[in-house]
Amino acid sequence: MDLIETNDGKITVVEPRGRIDSATAKEFGERLSRLLNAGRNQLVIDLHNITYISSAGFRQLLIAKRSMQDRDGKLALCGVSGEVKRLFDIGAFGELLPIYPTREAGVASVQ
Amino acid sequence: MSAALDADEQPHRNGNPIRSFLRSAYSAPILPRAAKKPSSLIYSADDRPGIVVALSNGVQHVGLISINLVYPLLICRAVDAPISLVANLLSLGMIVLCIGTLIQVLRLGPVGSGYMLPSTFTASYFAPGLIAARIGGLPLVFGMTIFAGALETLVAPMLNRLRKYLPVEVSGLVIFMLGIAAGLAGLRTLLGPAATPVGSAEWLVAAMTLGTMTALNVWAKGLARMLCALIGLTVGYAAAAAAGLLNPALWALVAQADWLGIPHFDHISWSFNATLVAPFAIASLAAAMKAAGTLTICEKMNDASWVRPDMRSITRGVLSDGLATIIAGLMGTAGGVNTSTPSAGLAAATGVASRNIAIVAAAIFFLLGFCPKLTALLAIMPRAVVVSALMYAVTFIMINGLQVMMSRMLDARRTFVLGLGILGGLAMEVFPQSVNLMPREIAAVAGSSLVASTAIALLLNLVFRIGVRKTATLGMAREQIDPQKIENFFSEQGKAWGARQDVTNRASFGVIQLVEAVAETCWKTGTMIVRASFDEFNMEIAVTYAGEQIEFPKERPSLEEIRDREDGTRLLAGFMLRRNADRVRSTVTDGQCTVHFDYDH
Repeated sequence: MDLIETNDGKITVVEPRGRIDSATAKEFGERLSRLLNAGRNQLVIDLHNITYISSAGFRQLLIAKRSMQDRDGKLALCGVSGEVKRLFDIGAFGELLPIYPTREAGVASVQ
Repeated sequence: MSAALDADEQPHRNGNPIRSFLRSAYSAPILPRAAKKPSSLIYSADDRPGIVVALSNGVQHVGLISINLVYPLLICRAVDAPISLVANLLSLGMIVLCIGTLIQVLRLGPVGSGYMLPSTFTASYFAPGLIAARIGGLPLVFGMTIFAGALETLVAPMLNRLRKYLPVEVSGLVIFMLGIAAGLAGLRTLLGPAATPVGSAEWLVAAMTLGTMTALNVWAKGLARMLCALIGLTVGYAAAAAAGLLNPALWALVAQADWLGIPHFDHISWSFNATLVAPFAIASLAAAMKAAGTLTICEKMNDASWVRPDMRSITRGVLSDGLATIIAGLMGTAGGVNTSTPSAGLAAATGVASRNIAIVAAAIFFLLGFCPKLTALLAIMPRAVVVSALMYAVTFIMINGLQVMMSRMLDARRTFVLGLGILGGLAMEVFPQSVNLMPREIAAVAGSSLVASTAIALLLNLVFRIGVRKTATLGMAREQIDPQKIENFFSEQGKAWGARQDVTNRASFGVIQLVEAVAETCWKTGTMIVRASFDEFNMEIAVTYAGEQIEFPKERPSLEEIRDREDGTRLLAGFMLRRNADRVRSTVTDGQCTVHFDYDH
């Protein structure tokens, strides 16, 4: 899994690529944790280049969401489509994680 | 251990029994907790609109459903029932529609889906009802209707398991042939050898009735389009009156009828004829499959995150459908009832799917059942109007049947099943004398186009199941887990088997997620064997490994459980695996754990 970070002022957009599974979830979680610890508490995670996400990946997203809440920060997810959207649906994660249809909408929501 | 998919019914513990009953029957939400209201929906099944919205929508649904009163009307005509009796039967029919709607929308014990689905008389029982009327009069129609309803209640819990024997395309064929049989039966009352010749005034009235209904349906908007059938009937009556087709003696009967009156049960008696079991059984199965389809539409309509049919809700809905048909037979109405598919369409179009609307529609039906003047007016419906209304209704049924048939990929097997089924049914209509070649005991019913085409299709479907199931196996060492290899396995097999992409994706995810979940703690040693088998109705995956079972929770673990518990990720994986498959269970034999996933195709 590759991960691209883009900073625009106070907002950070994280774009993971490939698979987020048990082999890569830990690294993904640590990268998110580092960003939060560095004070980047307006965070957008763009998932449009993700081909697969397992329960381990969802766990990291839920942990990031809770950590962000504890820091009064804002988190948004975008680029959720196709098979990845189906996985969000079967886990009913739409009610736990703030998902936006586009990156622009996600960025606007954390401003 | 095996994990059952059905959630346990939680009894309501409440001190007040009436309040407890009302809560479980009406006010408790029916939609899943995770359901997401679609943006197109203003009021979902669980919402409560104001009285104005409820009344106006209730009236629209009653108007939409009223066209189907032509089915009991024509069955009564087939036995030359007197107008007063026909009017009484129609009054009772209105009350049956009220009861049928209420037991569908209220959740009474194991019965009732809770969705906004009013009852309607159905074409399914029309052709068999006509045969029964000719053989044994109305008592046989009532008795066989009870039989059909009872069969539907028996079939309701088995619908999913019967899919192999009643595949979607055969359901489509049955619906199509119901339309053909009903339409031709109606046309025979105008054009048949025993019919009174049709005069030019009747042709004109028929053209005006059907023309109004179709023109409003095609070009009108809003309320005029919704109520096009009712407006067409009104135009037909007016044209018939102007053309002198309404006998003054019949008008006098309407004039004499009271505005308010209680229908009686004097006409009721029941009989049974074993030779009619086949057509009524087929009609009952068709009604069950149609109800299941309509309930699925309601589920999708109410939940934007809908993944697949909820068989528990569908079973409850089909059970209440069968029960309503039993009540129809017991109360002596000429024909069974079914959930109204056009009403589901109307709810989608208006965005109002609250079950309060169905309760209002039921109340209107109840009131109409006590208005003998109205049912007398319906009972004298001129032949040209009633046949036009029937043509209008069966057009939708036939096209619906065609759409269901064409929704499947028609390979060589299905082509023969459908083609020969249709041809066999039509042969019975075109060459009715061919029944002379059959034994007398079965000729009366086997000569029915519906029975003939269904029997041919079911038989060919059974024969063509030979050699359908295919199997493939993948082995994987614990040290060489490779998700890509699993993905490639399913992708290649899916293509080779002609499986749908979405089913292949679900199966692939299921195995990859399972491997990931069990790899750390449950799967101890040795090689994991993935065995995939497929036929056109089901993809079955059995994953065997040496080790412990994984849990498949019914509810999603809480955020704290996922985050803090050591097995949080595995619990979440189990929950997702349960939701990903249509059925999941696991067994352990001699330290070998096997997880079975079923995916309906």
